[in-house]
Amino acid sequence: MAEAILYDSTKCTACRACQVACKQWNELEAEETTNRGTYENPPELSASTWNKIKFTELELNGEFKWIFTRLACMHCEEASCQNVCPTGAISKTDEGFVLIDQKWCIGCGYCVQACPYEVPHKDEHTGTARKCTSCADRTSNDLKPACVTTCPTGALTYGDRSSLLSDAEQRVAALGGSATLYGENELGGLHALYILEDSPEVYGLPAEPQVATKNSIGQWLSGLITAGLITALPFWFIFRRKDQIAVGDANEGGAK
Amino acid sequence: MTWTALIWIYLWLAGMAGGAFLAAKAVGRFSGSKDDSLLRLATWLGLPLAILGVLLLIFELGTPLWFWHLFTQFDFTSPMSMGTWILIVWVILGVTMLATWWLEGKVSQEAAASLASLRKLISRINIFFSAALIAYTGVLLAVSSQSLWAGTILLPALFVVSAVSTGVAALVLAALGLNAIADSGMAEIKLAINQIFGSTEWKTPKEMIVRLAEADAAVIVLEIAVMIGYVIWLATSTAGSDALGVITTGSMAAPFWVGVVLLALLIPFGLDLTIRNKAAEAKGVMMTIVTSSLCVIVGGLILRWVITSGGQL
Ligand code: SF4
Ligand code: SF4
Repeated sequence: MAEAILYDSTKCTACRACQVACKQWNELEAEETTNRGTYENPPELSASTWNKIKFTELELNGEFKWIFTRLACMHCEEASCQNVCPTGAISKTDEGFVLIDQKWCIGCGYCVQACPYEVPHKDEHTGTARKCTSCADRTSNDLKPACVTTCPTGALTYGDRSSLLSDAEQRVAALGGSATLYGENELGGLHALYILEDSPEVYGLPAEPQVATKNSIGQWLSGLITAGLITALPFWFIFRRKDQIAVGDANEGGAK
Repeated sequence: MTWTALIWIYLWLAGMAGGAFLAAKAVGRFSGSKDDSLLRLATWLGLPLAILGVLLLIFELGTPLWFWHLFTQFDFTSPMSMGTWILIVWVILGVTMLATWWLEGKVSQEAAASLASLRKLISRINIFFSAALIAYTGVLLAVSSQSLWAGTILLPALFVVSAVSTGVAALVLAALGLNAIADSGMAEIKLAINQIFGSTEWKTPKEMIVRLAEADAAVIVLEIAVMIGYVIWLATSTAGSDALGVITTGSMAAPFWVGVVLLALLIPFGLDLTIRNKAAEAKGVMMTIVTSSLCVIVGGLILRWVITSGGQL
């Protein structure tokens, strides 16, 4: 059954308990960071930070706003990381969560380049790519993900994706204005859903994320057709004047 | 940055290897010559380059000893998986071609004839794999979420044209290098080379070298056109123009303008123009060709660097 994590940005106070819970449960190292003049910390997701709250300051309708959003793996239905992984190390659980097999990943870094949300990172210690698992080791034992369990405001909930979606729709309707639901249809449907007060871009989320492999055929054709043209045209142009050149005929060797 | 120097050096080496093979094949085809020593040179040159590249690539992996996991998958959606197989086939075909040349001098006339026709067949198949190899060096980057790589479909085209350009330049330098050895007194090296190429006096005619340089100039014209298309295409989207800014005005601007625009494109093209209609024997012609080829090769490396690093910034 498809499951999901729902994040309600309007209830999030950016206490970042979820960040800590994630580190604890997954035994991820703390990161040494510097004061960048913001409470947002660490600066970005990494091999040892799989979940973080992003802070955005902005002016909205003449009013100063401080808004938050959650960054972690979106567990895309059409997962770019899984599409490009050359070893088959990335798989999807029945619940719809995308996992990287740490015993099979070779650390080529392709998933890092392909993910539209910059989620996976190469871990220097393990040599593999690592990211949020939606606590598959907990959910398969009827526990909720660590971040959801710890969230004190109810901004994070976990459960059946379709019932979360209908809850989220109600909430978005109640919020009114430019409130949006993010994740229902993006990339075939995300298993991380968002209730946002405004458009996704305001939160730094791509409004129209694309699967990395979307233009694969076009890209291959671009390379192959060009290869054909570039070996045909210039060489034909230069070497067709046979009379002026006796190519290598001075040589004794070669095939006769 | 996840993909570092080893990756872009690899993309450059693999491109040069495949490009040299395609160029040699094209020369044979359009000149109508029966002599395939240029193809032999390209194969001898390309194989070590590609194999060196692969070693670098394996070294770049997080867990190099698990590289064999790559061979457990055949995945059309993953350019890296496709590239792995393309490369393997390309190397096997190339080694087989070398084996046929090597055996030719050691067997009977009829056997030698069938070896030659086998090689002809293999070299034809390898046209496709060489094209796929150089295309893949661009597709690998283009199938991603980095705007500088994925924001247009012209990156594979750009890498392909650059691969052929650097491939021709590498052929020119290798041929001139071998000629110099043949002219020199280095008897032992000379002997080894003659062994490899199965000839007593193996040399590439100067005429041929001039022609190759002319062909490279023509390739560069097309490369300039593709580069302009690539830049314009990216500039038309917001994400694309932001990404483009990194290489045109941002932190990669110096290597882009000096290394790519000047060194890989304008300088070698200009140099090749100066020797137009000059006889191969004329003074300074070979020196100009060597300089222009070096510019193309170094410029090709800088192109891979600018694009690979710039895309991750
Ligand atoms: S968010 Fe990125 S890492 Fe997570 S499933 Fe989607 S593509 Fe993969
Ligand atoms: S780093 Fe690992 S999981 Fe990511 S694409 Fe490479 S092999 Fe697959």
